Amino acid sequence: MATAVKRKTIYEEQREQGVTRREFLKVATAITMALGLKLKMVPTVVHAMETRPRLPVIWMDFQSCSGPTESFIRSYQPNMQKVLFDMIALEYNGALMAGSGTAAEEHILKIMNEYPGEYILAAEGSLPLLPGALTIAGRPAEETFREVAAKAKAVVAMGSCATWGGIPAAKPNPTLAKAVTDFVPPGVPFIRIPGCPPIGEVMTNTLAHIVIFGTLPEVDELARPKAYYRHRLHDKCQRRPFFDAGLYAETFNDEGARQGYCLYKLGCRGPTTYNACAELRWNGGLSWPIQSGHPCIGCAAPNFWDEAPFYARVVQLPGTQTTINPERVGAVMTGAVAAGIAVHAAATVITKGRITKKKTDVKAQEDIEIGQ
Amino acid sequence: MAEPTGIGVQTPLGETGKIRRRDPIYQAVEPGTVKVYVWEFPVRVWHWVNALSIFVLFVTGVYIGNPFVHAASSGEADAFLMGWVRIVHFITAFIFTLGWVFRLYWVFFGNRYTREHPFRRRFWSGMWETVKYYLFLPNRKPHYVGHNPLAMLSYWLFGVMSLIVILTGFFLFFEPQLDTVFGRLVSWMFLVFGDSFSIRSWHHIFAWLIILFVIVHVYMSVRDDLVERSGTISSMITGYKTAKRAHLIEAEEDTAGERKTLDVG
Repeated sequence: MATAVKRKTIYEEQREQGVTRREFLKVATAITMALGLKLKMVPTVVHAMETRPRLPVIWMDFQSCSGPTESFIRSYQPNMQKVLFDMIALEYNGALMAGSGTAAEEHILKIMNEYPGEYILAAEGSLPLLPGALTIAGRPAEETFREVAAKAKAVVAMGSCATWGGIPAAKPNPTLAKAVTDFVPPGVPFIRIPGCPPIGEVMTNTLAHIVIFGTLPEVDELARPKAYYRHRLHDKCQRRPFFDAGLYAETFNDEGARQGYCLYKLGCRGPTTYNACAELRWNGGLSWPIQSGHPCIGCAAPNFWDEAPFYARVVQLPGTQTTINPERVGAVMTGAVAAGIAVHAAATVITKGRITKKKTDVKAQEDIEIGQ
Repeated sequence: MAEPTGIGVQTPLGETGKIRRRDPIYQAVEPGTVKVYVWEFPVRVWHWVNALSIFVLFVTGVYIGNPFVHAASSGEADAFLMGWVRIVHFITAFIFTLGWVFRLYWVFFGNRYTREHPFRRRFWSGMWETVKYYLFLPNRKPHYVGHNPLAMLSYWLFGVMSLIVILTGFFLFFEPQLDTVFGRLVSWMFLVFGDSFSIRSWHHIFAWLIILFVIVHVYMSVRDDLVERSGTISSMITGYKTAKRAHLIEAEEDTAGERKTLDVG
């Protein structure tokens, strides 16, 4: 560490605030449970909190609606206060902080210089390639991002805009937006937390994991934490029995919808969406879209906005932002092919005599050539 | 040059001892006409198994993509219609995959009518003549006893399309268990075909392309049977196609010439 001052550990800070040892252990146990760890991991968590200082986090908004921030502060287990005040030091967040202007921007520099390689850069929203499309404090956002990311311990992309490009990058993409993960300097690890917004608990738990273990959680092929993004909603869905049974709601008002049948035919994206909604649910585990009768729109999936319309089963033409109804287009194509065949067959019948004659002519010529 | 001999006598035609090449067996039926054993038994079996699997896969696949009938049910989730349709789809998919593997094997170990080499000039010049033939233009298309180059190209493409559908299909099959051994065999497809939604799209679109192929394939076979009188349709059951003796000798000369060139090279 560049600075010689020894930073206080999480435990020390809590004790100073009047938290008793007993209360501290309760919090540590609750966090262990919230992270889905085994009970015997409690000592590890306690040890981490006793020895590690709070994790400095710089949270930057780019082309985003601040949805991830809003979702983050609604995390229940562990709740935002626990993470925010006990485990991390949220040093900068455009939506939450009181400070603004030069003072706020200078604070980023201060954190970068005081904790190089130790702070986490949580990024929200996409970055535009179009010059002048997004500036923060008069500087191109992309420049600021690269600078802050270069010295970060890791970049955590929060939300679908930061992870895939999201709505700003959707057709027609006027600002040439790209995911922030495309701008992370080489050598800096990053992790993707997709969702529009992501589940609050997923964000807080991922940060808590970094605090306790000092490393990024295990990720899948697309750099999403496996703990929350390894399975599709479809495989954990409470309406799955109706899917397998062959019982579907056809509209939002029919008997099937009232009976709680599968929402597959209403365009549910559960079969293609990797997220933890079915287990963690939303608003403290109260409910989630499919439970409350609305098909999943696949907000955690790459290109979800371009996979519209949400209420129909469509496929995307590979490499494009165009979706089609495969059965309708397939039927039309079949019709076109059938028409082409009919024309060709008719032409075959009409021209048969003529062509055969010509062929014979050609053949005769060939024979002569061979003969010579 | 070996000459076609009497009725019922099977004679190998042309040179022997070439790379695992079984020379075609043929029978002279009447003066000027011969029956050629084009499609060997395994490839005929494969053809019809494949045709049946494509039909079953298509019907069940369309149902899975867009369930067009509801289960008869009291309203409880006690039926298993989609479940059964998926099981049939999966089992048929394994048959289709095994068929694909077999057909690839047969490319190398079947008789000479089992494939045409697509990286030869003759293949593409023949294709051009065949295209002109199908557009009713004056052409120099020779008579092909087996596949004409255009047909062969469509079968190569069919093989590639089948492979794409098979690969993406196995991804979808193992998608619920990506962290198992089987899951790890398919999870790389995220990086090739894109996310789950894209993989599904590839699967769906190429399934439809195969159906379009089937329609054209059936038309072309019927047309060939009627126009050329070569017994194309029945050949996929009996294995024999009818050809003019002159055509056969011509084709044989062509091949022999090519072999000579190859030997020199």
